[in-house]
Amino acid sequence: MEIIKVKQLNKSFGNNHVLKDISFTVNKGDVMAIIGSSGSGKSTLLRCLIDLEKADSGDIIMEGKPLLKDGIYPSAPEIRTIIMKMGMVFQHFNLFPHLTVRQNLELAPKVVKKEEVVAMNTRAEAYLNKVGLLDRIDAMPSTLSGGEKQRVAIARALMMNPDILLFDEPTSALDPELTGEVLSVMQSLANEHMTMVVVTHEMGFAREVANKVVFMDSGTILEEGTPEDIFIHPKEKRTQEFLSSILREQKKKSHKKYRLKKYC
Amino acid sequence: MSDFYIYLSNITVPMLQGMVITLSVFAVTIVCSLPLGFMFTLMARSRIAPIKSFAKGYIYVVRGTPLLLQIMFVYFGLPLLPGIGDYLVFERFTAACIAFCMNYAAYFAEIFRGGLLAIDKGQYEAAKVLGLTKIETMTRVVIPQMIRVCLPAISNETITLVKDTALVTVIGVAEILHYAKTSVNRDGDTFAFLVAGALYLMINFVITMVFKKLENKYEF
Repeated sequence: MEIIKVKQLNKSFGNNHVLKDISFTVNKGDVMAIIGSSGSGKSTLLRCLIDLEKADSGDIIMEGKPLLKDGIYPSAPEIRTIIMKMGMVFQHFNLFPHLTVRQNLELAPKVVKKEEVVAMNTRAEAYLNKVGLLDRIDAMPSTLSGGEKQRVAIARALMMNPDILLFDEPTSALDPELTGEVLSVMQSLANEHMTMVVVTHEMGFAREVANKVVFMDSGTILEEGTPEDIFIHPKEKRTQEFLSSILREQKKKSHKKYRLKKYC
Repeated sequence: MSDFYIYLSNITVPMLQGMVITLSVFAVTIVCSLPLGFMFTLMARSRIAPIKSFAKGYIYVVRGTPLLLQIMFVYFGLPLLPGIGDYLVFERFTAACIAFCMNYAAYFAEIFRGGLLAIDKGQYEAAKVLGLTKIETMTRVVIPQMIRVCLPAISNETITLVKDTALVTVIGVAEILHYAKTSVNRDGDTFAFLVAGALYLMINFVITMVFKKLENKYEF
C-alpha cells in the first residue's frame, strides 16, 4: 500500500535548482534510505515531505491526501492535519531545552491532542523504556549525551503516534561511538514495521536495515533499488564513485584515530 | 550624637515619602513597558509593512532622544499639540509614567528582539512537526527560552530604570532626589545626597536579589 507518493517534485532556492523532477513512492512498512553526497538535495527532499520547505511544483500525496497537488498547497489547517501523521527526527535533536525529558515528550500530546494525563504519562514512560532512557525521565536535555538526546527525540516523535517517521541525518551530529545506540533504536522500529524515510551517511544502516535505497546526485534520483542493487551492483558510475569515496573516507577516519592514539 | 540621629530622621522621613513615588513610577513602568515592549518586538517582526515600519520608527525615535526631553515633551509639549492637545493634559505623576513606559518599551523591545534571535530555528521546526500552532509555539517553546536569554539584560535595564526615575524631578514630581535637594538647599549640607544614594542602592540591592532568584529559576 502506497503511503507516500511523490511525483515530479521541483524546488529551487533562487537560481539554485535543488530538486529536479523527483518521483518515488514509499509503501507502508518500508524503510527507505536516501544517500548521496552533501548538496545533493537529500535533506531538502525530506523537509519538503513535512512542509518545512515549500516545493515549487509537483505532487506530494501522503496516505491518499494531497500535501501538494500540481504545485498548489491546501489550506494551513489541512496541511497541519497531514503533517501531524508524520514524525520527524532532526540532525541536531531540537529538544526543548527548558523542559525535562518527560515534558518534552508530553508537550505536544497535552497541547495539541489534549490527551488525558494518566494515559499520557504511561505512554511517555513506555516510549522512554523502549529507547532505554526511563531512568532519565526527569533529566534536563542539557545533561544528556548526544545519543541520549537523539533517543529522547525519537521517543518524542513516537508520542504523536505517527504513521511515518522521517529522519534527517540522525547520527551525523554524534560522536562515532554514540551512533550505535541510536541506530539500534531505529532498527527496532523497523522491525516493528514503522514506515521510515532516513537521510543518512551510515552506509551500514542503509545496507542492513533499509529495504529500499535511493541514491541522489545534484537534485535528481540517479538510482534506486534494494540495498543489494545499490551497494553490490550499482549501475551508475556516480553511485560507484560515491560509495568508494565514502569507504575511503571511513578508512581514513579509522586511520586517523589510530595515529592519534599512537602519538598522544 | 543624638543630634545627628534627629537630623538624619528629619531628612530621611520626607525622602521615604519620595521613595514611595520613586517605587510607584518604577512599578508602573515595569508592569506596562514589558508587555508593551514585547508587542513592539512582534510588530517589528510583522510581515505587514506599515506595522513593521511604525514599530521600527518608534524604536528609532525613542532610543535616539534623551529621556529627559521625552518627559518634558509629554508634560509640557503634548497639551500644546493643535486639535488633540486638550485631551493630552496629564497630572505630573501620570505624565512621568507615560514617558517612562514609552521609553522603556523601546529598550525592552530591542532586548526581546535579541532574545528571539538567540532561539534556534530548529526549535520552531520541532514545534511545527509536533503539530503546535504558531501561538502555542510562541507561548510554550519560544517565550520561556527567550526570557532566560533576556533576563540579564532586563535586570540591567531595570536597575537603570530605578536610577532614571530621578529625572522626574524636572516636571516637579516629588521623589527621593527632590526631597534630598530640598534638604541640601535648606541646610547647606550635602549629607542628604549621601542618604539619597543609600536609598537608591537599597532598592537596587533588592532588585538584584530578585533577578538572581529569577535567573536561577529559569536556569536549564
